Amino acid sequence: MSDTRFVNQRMVGSSVIPDEAIPLVEGDGRFLNDIKLPGMYHVAFLRSQHAHARLNSVDASEARKLPGVIKVLTGKELLGKVDPFRSMPNRFSGGESVQHWLAVDKVRFCGEAICAVVAEDRATAEDAVDLINVDYEPLPVVTDPRLGEQDDSPLVHDACPNNYLIKREYQRGDVDEVFRNAHLVVKRKFRIGRKQALCLEGRGCVAGYRENTFALTLWISHQLPYVVRHYLAKHLRLPEIEVRVIVPHTGGGFGQKASIYPEEFVCAFLALGLRRPVKWVEDRLENMVASTHARDQYIELEIAADRDGRILALSSDIWVDVGAYSTYLWSAGMEPLQTAGLMPGPYMIEAMRYRTRGVATNKTPVGPYRAVGRPSASASLELLIDDMARRLKLDPVQVRLRNLIPIEAMPYRNANNLVHDNVNYVPCLKLSVVKSEYERQRTEQREARPNGKLRGIGVACFAELTGLGTSTAVGPGTLLQPGRDAATLRLETSGVLTIAAALPSQGQRIMTAMRQVASDELGIKLEDITSITNDTATAPYGFGTFASRTAVFGSGAVIQAARELRKRMLALGAHLLQVPVEDLTIANSVIQTVDRSKSITLREMAEKSYFSAKDIPPELNQGFEVTSFYDPKFGSFAAGAHIVVVDVDPKTGHVEIVRYVASEDVGTIINPAVVEGQIIGGIAQGIGEALLEELVYDEAGQPRTVTLADYLIPSALEIPRIELHHANTPSAALGGFKGCGEGSIIGALGAVACAISDALSRRGGDIYEFPATPERVLKGLGVLPSDG
Amino acid sequence: MAREQKIKVTVNGRAYEKTVPVRLSLADFLREHLHLTGTHLGCEQGVCGACTISMNGRSARSCLTLAVQTDGADIVTIEGLRAEDGTRHPMQQLFLENFALQCGYCTPGFLITAIELLRDNPNPTEHEVREAISGNLCRCSGYQAIVDAILAAACEELA
Repeated sequence: MSDTRFVNQRMVGSSVIPDEAIPLVEGDGRFLNDIKLPGMYHVAFLRSQHAHARLNSVDASEARKLPGVIKVLTGKELLGKVDPFRSMPNRFSGGESVQHWLAVDKVRFCGEAICAVVAEDRATAEDAVDLINVDYEPLPVVTDPRLGEQDDSPLVHDACPNNYLIKREYQRGDVDEVFRNAHLVVKRKFRIGRKQALCLEGRGCVAGYRENTFALTLWISHQLPYVVRHYLAKHLRLPEIEVRVIVPHTGGGFGQKASIYPEEFVCAFLALGLRRPVKWVEDRLENMVASTHARDQYIELEIAADRDGRILALSSDIWVDVGAYSTYLWSAGMEPLQTAGLMPGPYMIEAMRYRTRGVATNKTPVGPYRAVGRPSASASLELLIDDMARRLKLDPVQVRLRNLIPIEAMPYRNANNLVHDNVNYVPCLKLSVVKSEYERQRTEQREARPNGKLRGIGVACFAELTGLGTSTAVGPGTLLQPGRDAATLRLETSGVLTIAAALPSQGQRIMTAMRQVASDELGIKLEDITSITNDTATAPYGFGTFASRTAVFGSGAVIQAARELRKRMLALGAHLLQVPVEDLTIANSVIQTVDRSKSITLREMAEKSYFSAKDIPPELNQGFEVTSFYDPKFGSFAAGAHIVVVDVDPKTGHVEIVRYVASEDVGTIINPAVVEGQIIGGIAQGIGEALLEELVYDEAGQPRTVTLADYLIPSALEIPRIELHHANTPSAALGGFKGCGEGSIIGALGAVACAISDALSRRGGDIYEFPATPERVLKGLGVLPSDG
Repeated sequence: MAREQKIKVTVNGRAYEKTVPVRLSLADFLREHLHLTGTHLGCEQGVCGACTISMNGRSARSCLTLAVQTDGADIVTIEGLRAEDGTRHPMQQLFLENFALQCGYCTPGFLITAIELLRDNPNPTEHEVREAISGNLCRCSGYQAIVDAILAAACEELA
């Protein structure tokens, strides 16, 4: 044996090729729509054609006559049998919203489910949907949050005055005084359009009746299996123990699959009533109108600065069009509160004030989507910092360096009470400046371009709060306050270690990450470790995968559990080998003495532990199964600085990204290739936010972008090669890990927006609305008349 | 018009004779009738490319193709890419080694498109690769690792 026998190669930090990707690359993935159960029925939903209407009658008599139709369920039939989704009262909530699983008296957005049809196959169910007659009485609609908050606006919910689902004002420091005395005050407007997570696989579920010992088994394309289980039981009035939730391979989540929606709960109700399994899989049209939307904000912000460009105070006014209902569990506060509260980002800002509101409109509800609230918070402030730099004739990099929280100032508590520590804001920016040859870019910018193109350079720095523990709220006022998750480590009789945690992956390779961490902690070979993350019947309690938390929680829980398991393994090893514990080490799945004279494989030891227990003192044989809950208490800030170079064509308004350099601090990295995939993927979504993606509604509340031909996401041609660099510093969490799922999308929107604004400024233009479509760019240049 | 029609079709080297509804899409035929669920549906409008399969040697959208149109055709899906001994196709292996997939939902369509690209153009530039895969949407990766996997496959084939 080689010398490496004693020292396991460190798995943390290695780009281990993930076994969990093998079925996906071989066509053996098992996604929700691949599940078939004997006797399974299929469900299709009748959805509202109106943005706001009273339902005078719903006549399903013709649909019920169609051969193959099993049942048509209406909202009235659910009344009194299940509990609808009510917005959570909290100290910032406005009025109440009640969302029935199927609309009862009114519909409040195009796409809201009215009836569920169960049939022998999906095509028949869809045929039957077309046979249902609904008598709609159209009502006045709310489509703009700034009009919706006016006293004379129509109401989306009678119990929700001024359509406020959420409203908060906050102040720290004497903001007015600072603004009055400041050397410079700059103001700006910012608008970000409505977005869609756009998972390639939509939502869906199979609800099984009496599978194994469970009354109800729900296979669901979702990020939070235990949360679904708890609320499914609660709303269906079932004992929780009767419900099992399993998450199959999931074709993207990005937050859209982190909320609770009516359709899957209707399917569960139907399966229990019909005593047969039922399946519903969202088609793309349904996904565009019935799965949560995101962003949709109007921001007005101003900063006060001294003559050197130091920001003294920040004030913002925010309107978010949150759609027709308070998204269940997360509430309507996600975007309004996070945009407002996290706007200072990585900068030292001592005084701040905001007024933020989530206004109900007759549109699809807004829910969590990658980096909730923060891309617009960051981009609006970054654009304003550039305005300040121009006014003071300072370079955008220089002015940022003066405002970023330096390491020497940490721990630093900002004006919104968040503590920044162990995070490399300044080194990230400096690294991007060097790697992008920033000075040369500025020189080249002044040279004339072919076809009169305008070159722009954008710089954006951001902070991403990740891995939130119990002491840091994910969003004030939401019902879910996650902060601790568990992992169970079990050494099987075969010597294989199984890690179980309710932290499903949508491609983040969390199973591989936890295996790498466990391998280092326990000295077990990677190929001897397996992982289960998707089933409430096998995993210990956990919240699930969202908010850049999974690697932090999964790894932390694995480390804690591994330390206890290691103690137990060494204690038994010492007994079996008849040597002191201190003489033992574990490497390559073998326990051995440091002098290599005695050894026992973990497999032999596990077999003895389970099958020959009579020969072992019970205090040394406590079982090789340990569950540990991990709570990092606080969150860890990750960071980044992106520098983007664009060429804007002043004739067509087309924006081309010429160069993209990103430097990030994501803490100790478990699997570099996986992390880079997360960051580059996030940047691509941010470029989509900045340039392409927008859900458009007309004045009647009709969605105009309901296919992938209307709602454009980037293809390989719109995304440049991303140059990625690291300036990592370990966090205070176990293992030094930070989350890395969302930061990149924050930086991308800001950096691309600033680059375009910089390019337009060369002709005295600017841009305030994103995405920066060619039309908006031309308006920004004055080539097309602006909206005023 | 008849509501059902008989077709003879070869899928992944195996001959099938089936009676299918005339409104059945090829994607649903593969997934529901032949239980080849490796082909995924992302939009059912021909935009996203997740359902891309190979039909008579050319990539095609199985969501826009009717099953009855495949009468006499030779179809290859992701399940047909591995060698008879189970070895992964080099493109599958390089997607794995280059971390070119995250959720994996779009991957079958990318593999089919990428294999067709290198057959027609064994030594593409990066831009040609991006152009060739621009009809396949991926929401996770930002495409960079996919592009790298395809360029690596081209290097391997040339070597």
